[in-house]
Amino acid sequence: MKKSSKIILGISALAIATGIFVAADHIDAPGSMGTSADIADYFAFEPKAGSDNTVFIVDLQSSVLPDLAYGTFDEDVLTEINIDADGDLTEDMVIQAIAREGRMYFFGPVAPSTTGLTSEVAVDAPLGDVEISTTEAIVETTADGVMLFAGPRQDPFFFDFFRYNEVVMPSAEDNSGFNVPGEDTFDGANTMSIAIEIPNNRLGAATGTNVLGVPVYKTWVTTNRKQ
Amino acid sequence: MIFKNLKYGLLAMATLAMVVSCDSDDNGMMDDDMMMDDDMMMDDDTMSMDPDFSGTYVQVDFMGRPGINTVLSSSDVKDMHNQAIPAEMGAIFQPVFQNQLEAYHDAYAVALGLTAEDVDFEPNILGDILNGPENDGFTENPVTAEVLTTVLATDVLEVAPDAATTYFNPGAGAPTYEGGIGLTGRTPQDDVIDVSLILLFGGGNGARFNGENGLPQLVTDGVPLTATISSTFPYLSNPE
Repeated sequence: MKKSSKIILGISALAIATGIFVAADHIDAPGSMGTSADIADYFAFEPKAGSDNTVFIVDLQSSVLPDLAYGTFDEDVLTEINIDADGDLTEDMVIQAIAREGRMYFFGPVAPSTTGLTSEVAVDAPLGDVEISTTEAIVETTADGVMLFAGPRQDPFFFDFFRYNEVVMPSAEDNSGFNVPGEDTFDGANTMSIAIEIPNNRLGAATGTNVLGVPVYKTWVTTNRKQ
Repeated sequence: MIFKNLKYGLLAMATLAMVVSCDSDDNGMMDDDMMMDDDMMMDDDTMSMDPDFSGTYVQVDFMGRPGINTVLSSSDVKDMHNQAIPAEMGAIFQPVFQNQLEAYHDAYAVALGLTAEDVDFEPNILGDILNGPENDGFTENPVTAEVLTTVLATDVLEVAPDAATTYFNPGAGAPTYEGGIGLTGRTPQDDVIDVSLILLFGGGNGARFNGENGLPQLVTDGVPLTATISSTFPYLSNPE
């Protein structure tokens, strides 16, 4: 790349303008950071070797910084896990979650009425609902073995977030990169989690593959605000 | 499986046939203690107690892989990324991500008193893992900044339903990377920051900027997991 002081200045300006600007997805962009629709993190995994289930966990908001509140699910925010089974990067199924009066209601997995940026709650495909926990986890298991959870949890993300913000603005005086050991900025932070563990037969076959040729679902999570 | 060319591998997966399975006959809306016969479930009084889910909801935040928007989007496209859809992301964000990746390298060049043109992204260890190492230690199909940012620009988290979850594991490491695997999901324990740093700044052996010989430490942030992870659902622990 060409040398450009503009680029260097650009990085510095970026860091200053947003104050802080990294985490898994915590406070990732000015339009969503610090709001009740801010996605903090997202996990998708096989719960144990040989399991026939897949787990999805979505963390909303985080108390990683003192001025970032967490504590309640916004009833105007629909959380949607998008699942592309065939590798064409368009969602074939969605699993939705939305809070109403102390309970989290789940819908799907179901083909969405429309793909893309707008959604409606799939009221014809209810999956189940669970009381939103306070401290101890309350788990609901549906008749066909889907486990549901919603409530505050430890934010598991780990990262030396403050040092990162210095690392991306190196200077002649401070150009050593990260410290080893560093300090986990997220140690002690909490987040509002939505978790679902679902038998793979509810999701259908994965016919897309990753670059290593392993069949995979391609997944992403969105938050969507009621208009 | 070894692909001679990562790009062709990506193209191949995009052309695979489509199978969708939906199964919405379950009525999990009823709590266990409200189980009753079907007639009762259709009772008007019960129906009237259903919460109102009407309305249109518009996307405001998006996440696939961890850290992508935060690290690789320039400030002017961060909000745009959250209002994008994966099928359109590649064309929009690949050039942005590549510029940002090079800008990070340029920033360190200047801070270290070097010339920005002389410090660029170097093809990372994925090339050897995907294509196999050459005898000289370099692969003939390196994962260049363009190839890497092409992959990352389409911001989806892949999860394998029938394979163990590994975000990324370089196996035996340089030069063979024997057993190197990944891209099958993400668990809360995965050190996604270190993986990302290695792929962005680690170069051909994963340790290019490793804090030695006057170079900055850019391949680990030096922190392990501190939260407690349970072995049972919902896996994340009670709030602190």
